[in-house]
Amino acid sequence: MDDLDPNEYKIGKPERLFNLTCLLLHFSNGISKNDILRSIPAYSAEYVEGGDNSSLERKFERDKDELRETGIMVEAVIAEVEDQNNQATKYVIRSESFFWPKGLSLTPRQLALLNLAADAWAGGSLSAIASKGINKLRAMGEVNDGDSIIGIAPRLNSNEPNLHEIGTAINERRVIEFDYRKPSTGEIMPRSIEPWLLRQIAGQWLVLGYDRMRNAPRNFMLRRMVSNVKIARGTQPFDPPNQSEIDNAIADLEKLAAKQVAVIKVEKNTEAWFRYELDLGATSSSGKVELNFYDMHVLAEQLREYAGQIQVIKPDDLAALVRDGFQKVADQHG
Amino acid sequence: MANSRLSDSERFNLMLALTALLVDQREYEIEDLMSHFKTTREEIVEAVRLIGFTELIDIYDRRPYIVDFDDLHDGLVSIRFSNSVDLTDVPRLSSRQTSALAAGLAYLAALPGLAEVGEIEELQKILASGIDDENSRSEIHIVPGAVDSDLATLRQAITNRLSISCDYLNLKGETSIGRILEPIRLEPQAEFVYLRAWCPTNEEVRAFRIDRMRKATVLPDRPISEAAKTAEFPDEIYTPGENDVEVVLEVEPEAYSLMHDFRPVEKPESVSTHVKRFKVKVGDVRVLGRIISRFGGAARVISPEPAKQAVRRFALEAIGVRNQQAPKDAE
Repeated sequence: MDDLDPNEYKIGKPERLFNLTCLLLHFSNGISKNDILRSIPAYSAEYVEGGDNSSLERKFERDKDELRETGIMVEAVIAEVEDQNNQATKYVIRSESFFWPKGLSLTPRQLALLNLAADAWAGGSLSAIASKGINKLRAMGEVNDGDSIIGIAPRLNSNEPNLHEIGTAINERRVIEFDYRKPSTGEIMPRSIEPWLLRQIAGQWLVLGYDRMRNAPRNFMLRRMVSNVKIARGTQPFDPPNQSEIDNAIADLEKLAAKQVAVIKVEKNTEAWFRYELDLGATSSSGKVELNFYDMHVLAEQLREYAGQIQVIKPDDLAALVRDGFQKVADQHG
Repeated sequence: MANSRLSDSERFNLMLALTALLVDQREYEIEDLMSHFKTTREEIVEAVRLIGFTELIDIYDRRPYIVDFDDLHDGLVSIRFSNSVDLTDVPRLSSRQTSALAAGLAYLAALPGLAEVGEIEELQKILASGIDDENSRSEIHIVPGAVDSDLATLRQAITNRLSISCDYLNLKGETSIGRILEPIRLEPQAEFVYLRAWCPTNEEVRAFRIDRMRKATVLPDRPISEAAKTAEFPDEIYTPGENDVEVVLEVEPEAYSLMHDFRPVEKPESVSTHVKRFKVKVGDVRVLGRIISRFGGAARVISPEPAKQAVRRFALEAIGVRNQQAPKDAE
């Protein structure tokens, strides 16, 4: 049992954060920074009474940020008297912001569905975030109930390199900058947006946000970002949009898709015939299919999968796009 | 998840969740906690140990959580605690955690036959009730692709552990009629839904895209075999075979998804600021034609030459140019 001796253990970050959480919950009226640094073993070892503790204070600041990221809000309470003296600032975690409302529990079936929802993110950049969330929820479910949902393992692709950065920026309301390739011309332009919402539409990630150059909401596909996304330096957090602004922008994209129609002709009994379910008699047996699209370049990609099985009837731009793509590929591999 | 070590912040998070569970003063087997939290024995033991080491100088008269380390060694977890403990319940989620789970649920709601709309709505409400910040709103929104009519039939077969028969069109364009499969798991992914099934003819687990499947019918008299029940298979849809050819690909950001669809043999290297190059293994280079052509120039085969030619031939045939310098090794 030697390996379990508490006296031989070096204090790591998880333990330090846990101690800090317990301490801040304990003092419901707040506790001063110096008292925090004295009371947490991982800090107190380095704490110098009356001396320079600036590096320790920075560590405390970083720990507070880390707590906030995991959903724990550390509030600074300024004492009513002495409010000009920074030493009087007290910190607190309010139990009503920390704990779930009383009396909530999850049935095995609910927990199983939530497990599936979390697992859907497995392997991508949102995986760690979802798994921390589900672990907390698991504390509300009965242990040893087993999963009641078998035989399904949904996977949402979250491999886009900039996904995590954009999610953080949305959460912290920070302006982001990136280089964006316009699909029609291939031109690369720097962009600056206030990111509002990440959307995945049929497997394609978009970020909806306020374009600061065009002064209007715009959608950007993550895969067309040809640089790392960066938080814009020297900008303040932006004012959050109204929900109606977001709803309107989503509706605009839907209207666009409703307006843009392509017509293709599908060769009988091919894979495309299956894909568009023409064998099920859902559409006319002539093999003509109407497709709504919100982005012609994405549709052209999907249609290139069915080379030789389909023919684009209209619009002409789409037919040209499909063909030019093949020509470019042929040229590149000559 | 069960195989990798937790990060510091994940371990801290597990400590919070475990404490909330353990303060109900019940005793748990480590095995049960492992399956409940889907993690390893080492992680459970480590988290419980760390909870036991909690100490606040001059505040609690002793450690607030007392762990019996002998019990822990024997596979049992329970804690005793002083009356002054403050972590008494389950912590809320951060808005990002809520957002990720809520988006996952919205996605599940779109899969037919999996859950009632009401069930998902109820869960969304529970999640929302855990958000303290009134200004907080979801950061992710999922609109799934088309779902296939066979999905409900396949789920029924999996739940009842029965075989199916179906017509299946493979990547080479050949249709097999009345193919018998023993379904194991459905894997809805971003663009397509895959079925992992034991194929009794080939005696192995294979992945089938269900948009290429028709007339799926449950066979009530044909339960799945023992081989199907016990079969192990990797998470990746495509796993390289021994005789596969190594192919070097180069991708622009628009085709980065290929780095995840194939499993690169080595870590991708950067060719320029945003162009990546990586090696993959491919069973038959002819399948590359359609995979590469799809991206219309954002993905390129660098080597070997037969793979490049296969792509060129596919692209040229697609625009109606045939028999252009067919390489000698072409079938």
